[in-house]
Amino acid sequence: MEALSGLAGGFASIFTPVNFMVLWIGLALGMLVAVLPGLTLVMGVVLALPFTYKMGVGPALILLTAMYVAGTYGGAITSIIFRIPGEPMDVPLLWDGYEMTRKGQAALALGWALVAAFAAGIVSSIVMVLLTQPIARLALSFSTPEFFAVVFFGLASVVTLSGASLVNSLISLCLGLLIATVGVDGIYGAERFAFGLPFLQDGLEFLLVMVGAYGIGEVLTRMAVGFAGGAQSQAGDARFKTAFPKWAEIVRMKATFIRGTLVGMLVGIVPGAGATVSSFVAYGIEHQYGKNGKALGTGAPEGIVAAKAAATASVGGAFVPLLAMGIPGSGATAIILAAFLLHGIQPGPQVFVKSPELVHLVFATVFAATIGKCILGYFAIKPLCKVLDAPEAIVSAFVVVFCFVGAFAQRNSLPDLYVMAIFGLLGFLFERFRFPLAPLVLGAILGPLAEGNFMTTMVSFDNDWTVFFTRPVSGVVLALAIAGLLWPVIRAALKHYREFRGGHSPAP
Amino acid sequence: MPRKLSQVLPHGVMLAASIVLYWLAAGIDVDTGGRISPAVWPKAVIVIMGLLCAYEIVKRLLARSQFTATGVLSTDPLGVGREAALPLNLPMLFGGIALIAAYVVAVPYTGFFLTTALFLGIFPRIGGMQRPLLCAAIGVAGSLALAVVFMRIAYISLPLGDGAFRALSLALMRAIGVT
Repeated sequence: MEALSGLAGGFASIFTPVNFMVLWIGLALGMLVAVLPGLTLVMGVVLALPFTYKMGVGPALILLTAMYVAGTYGGAITSIIFRIPGEPMDVPLLWDGYEMTRKGQAALALGWALVAAFAAGIVSSIVMVLLTQPIARLALSFSTPEFFAVVFFGLASVVTLSGASLVNSLISLCLGLLIATVGVDGIYGAERFAFGLPFLQDGLEFLLVMVGAYGIGEVLTRMAVGFAGGAQSQAGDARFKTAFPKWAEIVRMKATFIRGTLVGMLVGIVPGAGATVSSFVAYGIEHQYGKNGKALGTGAPEGIVAAKAAATASVGGAFVPLLAMGIPGSGATAIILAAFLLHGIQPGPQVFVKSPELVHLVFATVFAATIGKCILGYFAIKPLCKVLDAPEAIVSAFVVVFCFVGAFAQRNSLPDLYVMAIFGLLGFLFERFRFPLAPLVLGAILGPLAEGNFMTTMVSFDNDWTVFFTRPVSGVVLALAIAGLLWPVIRAALKHYREFRGGHSPAP
Repeated sequence: MPRKLSQVLPHGVMLAASIVLYWLAAGIDVDTGGRISPAVWPKAVIVIMGLLCAYEIVKRLLARSQFTATGVLSTDPLGVGREAALPLNLPMLFGGIALIAAYVVAVPYTGFFLTTALFLGIFPRIGGMQRPLLCAAIGVAGSLALAVVFMRIAYISLPLGDGAFRALSLALMRAIGVT
């Protein structure tokens, strides 16, 4: 009941004229960044952040949340119609969505994507509302060892779930954690890696790391290949319509909807694993266990529904750890965390006590944005597709300027620009040498939380590190995290061993 | 550079960085009264990073092993793999890096409007656009539009530049209604 009345308050806040306008601007921008060549969803949300500096916290959260929600849909349109995935999460849509287009069923494919996005969006929003407060209440009973264990689990999961080399992921994570140690430490006031420079003594803002690595780094990565493989819409050749499947067909596919939504929610909750991972996992599960699984890849609507439902549901999932514990579940929620922090609000269990109206505003925004993105997705297909014709060199030039403003405007500090540029170069080098960026960024974001809880525990428990393993909750969570880290090694070792045995076994 | 060495270059650089960082961390000196030192956390992270780099170097150079553990989900078919496989366009890359560096260095002196106009005009040219007049128009119109959006609508304070450039920025701000 309390949640419902809070949610009603959130909706009332959204439907004020300014907030309502901000919601639609966020939806349109989210759709645009999901479609535009060279712009990713996370990058788009990063670039929108400077506009929120002078906004109230409410409109700022509405803008970024709406962008995040809408950004999970826009790329589906171009994937299905033109075989151009706006986001990595839309790649599975190529396999069945574009196949349906080739069979002359583009409108129906778009219809399935829209229905999946709507259904999964609403269901995951409801689950998010129901789940967040109980988890926040549970988190209130946590002490520092438990918080350290949860943060460690998040850091481990981003490494475990990445598709890159485990060693490179761990190195990337370590670098992120080290970036977070720059400046004056919070317990003793000791200066670390600051070299006497005032701007380093204040620490390196994780926003600079994100803006540089994701924004400038991506621009340099695209420049390094001469903006090759850019998208062209061929908008004149296509039909821009959405045709909804029949109700009976939707009901027949309910298991696929449920599987996709469940996977999206669960994967979304895990820090570092967002819409892309959800989309691929759900597609894989559908292929393995779906009634029509073997037909996936040949233009089966199940492939569209599973992937799109999961990608959409991951948004609701990603908000749960952010709001309940202050731990972002995805790159976009990390920016939303920054928006909270910029306005002096720390998400986590206390936010339900101190600023419950903001939590309910975010909940209501996720609901409203889910509906809004479907309306935009239905009516604005043609202009969205035309956006693909924008030359990537021009888009990239504007991205750099937005990055510049995003880095500068937070503290009006010129050294921040240099730091951002350096992280841009680092982001490019990381991409080039196949070091994943997500662990670096998550390490920089969660590093202070991990170190703070670790240090406080050690001080409180007389330097007894075993306390992390002897307390039931932290022990179990740490064991899960360590098992997750070891699993890829064991799996690779077993595969290596089998190949070795296979290569040396005597001929029958 | 021999191929083998180029393969371990990134890990070698990171290992060297780990050694330097460890040396710096060893200099963090605070009287903690027997409690845990603020150097412990960074030192632990540096040691792990250094060991991982050393492992990778040894594996690639000495053991010549193909053993690689990867994360459990491979979901980047269009990201790192695709772009790392395409040939490098070095003139465009270095041109882009130089222009971004020049932009960041110049903007405090020449102000946001002028520097951004130049940047937006030159960047697409480096990026392969063939129409100089269009690029120039994009530079001027884009910079003006961004100045309006950031300074007038979003109320963001941006660098005005020094001397004559500052006067130019102030005149522009008056023209677009920023007081």
